[in-house]
Amino acid sequence: MRILIVEDEPDLLASLAQALREEGYAVDTADNGPDGLFNAEGTDYDAIILDVMLPGLDGWELLRRLRRTRKTPVLMLTARDQSRDRVRGLDTGADDYVVKPFDLAEVFARLRAIIRRSSDQATSFIDLGAVQINTAARTVSLRDQPVELTAREYSLVEFLALHRGQVVTRTRLYEHLFDENESSLSNLLDVHVSNVRKKLGAEFIVTRRGHGYCIE
Amino acid sequence: MKLFKSIKWRLQLWYGLVLVVVLVGFGTTAYQLERGRQFRRLDEDLHRRAGLLVNTLRRPPRGPAWAGPAFDQPPPHRTEDGSEPQPEPLEPGHGNLPATVPFHLPPAAAALFDASDPNGFYFIIRRDGTELARSTNAPAVFPDAFRAGEDLAGVMKDPEPPDGSGKDSASSQRDDLRPEMAGPTSGFAPGQPGPARTRGNFRELVLHDRSPASPFRDTIVVGRNIARELTELHVIGWTLTGVGAVILLLGLTVGGWLVGRALKPVAAIGAAAAKISAGDLSQRINITDTDTELGQLAAILNATFMRLERAFTQQKQFAADAAHELRTPVTVMLTQTQTALNRERDATSYKLTVEACQRAAQRMRRLIESLLELARFDAGQEVLRCQHVDLGATVAAGVELVQPLAAEQGVTISVAAAPLTVTGDGDRLAQVVNNLLTNAIQYNRSGGTVSVKLASQNGLAVLTIADTGQGIAPADLPRVFERFYRTDQARTGGGNAGLGLSICQAIVTAHGGTIEAASETGSGTTFTVRLPLGPAAAPA
Repeated sequence: MRILIVEDEPDLLASLAQALREEGYAVDTADNGPDGLFNAEGTDYDAIILDVMLPGLDGWELLRRLRRTRKTPVLMLTARDQSRDRVRGLDTGADDYVVKPFDLAEVFARLRAIIRRSSDQATSFIDLGAVQINTAARTVSLRDQPVELTAREYSLVEFLALHRGQVVTRTRLYEHLFDENESSLSNLLDVHVSNVRKKLGAEFIVTRRGHGYCIE
Repeated sequence: MKLFKSIKWRLQLWYGLVLVVVLVGFGTTAYQLERGRQFRRLDEDLHRRAGLLVNTLRRPPRGPAWAGPAFDQPPPHRTEDGSEPQPEPLEPGHGNLPATVPFHLPPAAAALFDASDPNGFYFIIRRDGTELARSTNAPAVFPDAFRAGEDLAGVMKDPEPPDGSGKDSASSQRDDLRPEMAGPTSGFAPGQPGPARTRGNFRELVLHDRSPASPFRDTIVVGRNIARELTELHVIGWTLTGVGAVILLLGLTVGGWLVGRALKPVAAIGAAAAKISAGDLSQRINITDTDTELGQLAAILNATFMRLERAFTQQKQFAADAAHELRTPVTVMLTQTQTALNRERDATSYKLTVEACQRAAQRMRRLIESLLELARFDAGQEVLRCQHVDLGATVAAGVELVQPLAAEQGVTISVAAAPLTVTGDGDRLAQVVNNLLTNAIQYNRSGGTVSVKLASQNGLAVLTIADTGQGIAPADLPRVFERFYRTDQARTGGGNAGLGLSICQAIVTAHGGTIEAASETGSGTTFTVRLPLGPAAAPA
């Protein structure tokens, strides 16, 4: 899962990014409106965390312009808790909002919720037959036995599971699993796929030659 | 009880009371005038009749003693008086003679007391209480009171009739009858008429000859039945009462309507005020008539409500902005600490977290200090330690202080400061200078200049600080001194919450000075501070 954070307060941006990375997300950051819009339009993020007050271009305007091209789920961070501001945010196209000051746990939960909703997933349980995924607890079990996965492996499984039945290209996987600071030229993806197959069974992830990977 | 506290009902009550007093006054006066008129007519008639009787009974010793209105009209026997002789032999000292004197009324007088005329009657009673004569139409019961030995002298002495109808005799006395009557103790004109009095349905006049020289110490009672007149008076009284009641009712109704109408705006004002006190400050009183006193009051109240709403809105905005500014550092501290606590970390990363928290806390401290400062200025609690301040030196010190920042931003500062003395709080004025200088550097372009000038002009110390930055858009210019107002709608770092210029303005205003901003988009902004020169400030 790849997330964009647009926030101009450096300390907040740094700690949010760190916390999300530690949750297994690939995280890109922008500290002003124009950069945020550029990133958001250029990359297929799974979700965007967007502050309202931004230099250059405020959050509402950024969202308005982004909605012309992309339907990326957006979680607004706002310091104004008046319902007028919330309504405005939601009407402009935000999927949810969190009022500052917030708890990290709440931000994570809301983030998971908007990502789940954007892939038409009603609950945080994904049942793939033998394999079951709990996206809230970020755990995977095989025949009711918990399976230990690394954060990156989990992200791979979760992303493929959320796009069950679809062939997901390597490029798209790279885009969603790695942030802009990591090299996509490495064969990291092959290593992760191979590890997942060892833990969940060789048939769990199907390779479509020349296309990509798929969970059926 | 609550009813009587309402203005409407109080007005009604007073109005009604006044109306009642006026009506009762008018009614009573009208009634009394009518009553007096009636009784005067009756009494004149009685006096006339009494005069006839007296003249018939005997010739008075001296004619003029009987002068009086009742006798002015010449009755037929007056001419008899003139011819005079008949009773003369009776007069000299025969105490028991009168009992034998026959009594005859001349026909003209008798006609007056005829039974066919129910209005008048008479008795003549001797001193010993025996009745000498009575008219045929005299009521049978009437003389009893006299026969019972009633003190007839008392009747003469005491104008108050025994039945307590004092008003009657009083009104009689008020009449012009009074001067015709000698007082009870004055000359003993025989048969001098006392005041007429009312007894039940009868009006009577008692003539009592008390002269010791007179052999006839008879008492003549002339009376008449006044039942008809009394009934008439009753009718008049009730009519007056009825008319008065109708007027009162009408007055109260009309008055109530008028009062209600006049107080209607008060109800509207009250309703609007109630809504406002319930928290809806956007309420206004609907004024229909602006010329009346209440209309003007409503207009004044509306203006007050408007100012109140504006002040409240500003206050609310200020509180919201302050809360908003505090939210960000709190958020930083929460996310920093929660992230750090998510797992075990090394000392370096904990140190980074603590440092970030410290920055956030410092930012909150600055904000809180600024807010408190503004609050103290607002409340007028900020005490300026006023002394003579060399503003030139203050400016020089300030420039020196910001020089490192200017160097960092590649900004050069040019200073042209005359040594001017003002009266003020040196620390506060330095705060203004530093704040403006910092702004001028921060909002400058790299390689730009800040020019500082201090000169005296029209008895004012004029400090101008001009930068060569982007300038402020004309739309933003009037608002730069507003609290939390920032032109770029975002944090510009460094914990600048948009309060600096507000505080500058508060300080300068407290010193009796002015601060203003002029700007040209693209070429820079100039802040001008004007402060009154101190007494020792005549460097020229």
